[in-house]
Amino acid sequence: MPDPKTNRYQYFVSRRQNGEGAGGDGSCEHPLPSVRDALANIAQQHGGSAPQVKRLAGYDRVEIFALDKPGAPGQPGRAPRYEFYVDPLGAADGEGTGTAQRPWPDLDTALAGVARLDEQGSIPLAPGEHMALSVREVFSATPIDRRRRRTETIAGIVCGIMTLLLVVPLVLILGHLVVKAWPALSVSFLFENPRTSMTAGGIWAPLVGTFYLVFISLLVASPIGILAGVYLNEYAKDNWFTRIVNLAVVNLAGVPSIVHALFGVGAFVLFAGMGESVLAASCTLAVMTLPVIISSTKEALASVPMTFREACWNMGASRWQTIRTIVLPNSISGILTGVILQVSRAAGETAPILFTGAAFFLNVPDKGLRYFLPYSLDDSCMALSYHLYVLMTQVKGASDEQIAAGNAMPLEHLQYGTAVVLIGLVLAVNSVSIGLRVYLRSHKKW
Amino acid sequence: MVEIEIQDLSVSYGEHRALRNISLSIPANQIFGIIGPANSGKTTLLKCINRTIDFVDTAKVEGRVSLGGQDVRKVSSVYELRRRIGMVFPLPVGLPMSIYDNVAYGPRMAGMRHRGQLDALVERCLRQAALWDEVKDRLDMLGTKLSGGQQQRLTLARALSLEPDVLCLDEFSIAIDPVTTMKIEEVLLELGKEMTIVLVTNLVQQARRLAQQTAFLNNSELVEVGDTKQMFTKPEHELTYDYVTGNIG
Repeated sequence: MPDPKTNRYQYFVSRRQNGEGAGGDGSCEHPLPSVRDALANIAQQHGGSAPQVKRLAGYDRVEIFALDKPGAPGQPGRAPRYEFYVDPLGAADGEGTGTAQRPWPDLDTALAGVARLDEQGSIPLAPGEHMALSVREVFSATPIDRRRRRTETIAGIVCGIMTLLLVVPLVLILGHLVVKAWPALSVSFLFENPRTSMTAGGIWAPLVGTFYLVFISLLVASPIGILAGVYLNEYAKDNWFTRIVNLAVVNLAGVPSIVHALFGVGAFVLFAGMGESVLAASCTLAVMTLPVIISSTKEALASVPMTFREACWNMGASRWQTIRTIVLPNSISGILTGVILQVSRAAGETAPILFTGAAFFLNVPDKGLRYFLPYSLDDSCMALSYHLYVLMTQVKGASDEQIAAGNAMPLEHLQYGTAVVLIGLVLAVNSVSIGLRVYLRSHKKW
Repeated sequence: MVEIEIQDLSVSYGEHRALRNISLSIPANQIFGIIGPANSGKTTLLKCINRTIDFVDTAKVEGRVSLGGQDVRKVSSVYELRRRIGMVFPLPVGLPMSIYDNVAYGPRMAGMRHRGQLDALVERCLRQAALWDEVKDRLDMLGTKLSGGQQQRLTLARALSLEPDVLCLDEFSIAIDPVTTMKIEEVLLELGKEMTIVLVTNLVQQARRLAQQTAFLNNSELVEVGDTKQMFTKPEHELTYDYVTGNIG
């Protein structure tokens, strides 16, 4: 009887049959009278080409147990007394002896072979013993393979579900934001300044402020970060000093942004005398983004194979010539990707600019050059992230009359509108980075 | 006419001794073969000649290598030294730039800008490396897109681009087919008349075909050096005999 877990089909044989005479189905309780009957049963169940047969596949095993009396299977864990094999590729001359070295070519031959041996009396089974016939099909999965395939499927499904769990919140958050913000979203929302105690108008002033901060912070951080990365990857020898610097870079990336803010207040606002200004806030953001720019630069440089550098050195090129002509041109896209990813980080952070240059509200002219360039470097400025914080916690919503009169927007619309613009900005920048990465991969030069 | 003198050269990478007290004199304008099993220090020896060993932080070098009587440790410009020595390493390295730029790289880094001169030089080097006919119509193709054998010849062309006095080849034929190897060997025999060639090879028969003199390195030490014919017929050391006849290695 088949046991699908172990790929075993077991038939039981007993000469003492409780006086039932012929019959029985080969089960432990109703054994067959002789090995020959068992073989006939097997042939019927698995042999030939009848449509109802369950053909034996690779690593399936047929076992014939000799029983003392029905229902007493002896010691099931013991190895079989006799083992025979079926393997279509086994015997070169088409016939075999059933041994592991010279297996029978197919099941029918095997059954006939076993029957012949049984007739000759050369495979006597004492009660409790059994014989086994293993089918080894070509290129078929072993039981281990099958188990592995099952594990594989489960692992795939679990990982897939986890991925879905990741996507679902993103879609929900975005959907929620966009739906809530929909009434506020318009072109004028982007290009108008906040009015009437920030209950009406748009978000132009904080939007421009965010652009200022991001642009200037990258202007400060990129050259320092990229050149430091070049030094660490190309020039620095592997000694304790380099290791300390690398450790510092890694740890700096893990410093909480509010601590960066405190450092910014101390170093830029007070010590350097910048005051609470665009410059101080940008510098603080720059310090925050530096470690990641350094690490991504190092990574991009390290992806250029060493053999290229060696080939250049052998041509008498100096280190800098090699960096300029081979290393940088082939890693610039990777470096840029790292820098661009920092744009979104700088745009989103609130803490570092909180004490160093973000303004609660600033009156920005509605037209003229000052509309486009409202802040100078030593002014403080509005910024999207901080503006959102202010809208959430500081602004009292407009009264229903004002809203009905069209003089103000419901506070919720303003909040969600600002959030959507901020996240839209971040996502747009990230897509640019992804696009660059895709372009880079398709234009790999080696 | 540049001969190479190596006196008592020892190199260690940390604990590992890569070369032990090697003394060799490589005569000018002929092919000098260096044979020996893997890890016997052959590549390290070449790196000491053009001082690219400097780029290996852990390497410690003792002894003296001199080119044309000038100690390489004391040259005023290591870049000029490297320009005088062409290098070809086992695995072909096409730089990620066009075939033309690959060959013109060295001269450009050395300050050559004149387009006509560069054109002539690129053609000459590619012809010398037996590659010109295959690539003359696609000089702007990426060098990295060439096949392995072509890239190795491109590497050779690049090594020749600065008209070096010394050409060092490190198992150059490992990644290329026998036909291309024979083509390059013919080129080398021709070049050997006008420059000093150091040929490091795993194929003892290649050394036998090309080199006038051969040195046998084993286990970081110089076992024997001498006339190639004698090395392959009546070597002084039993180890050398076993190696060249294929009994070991």
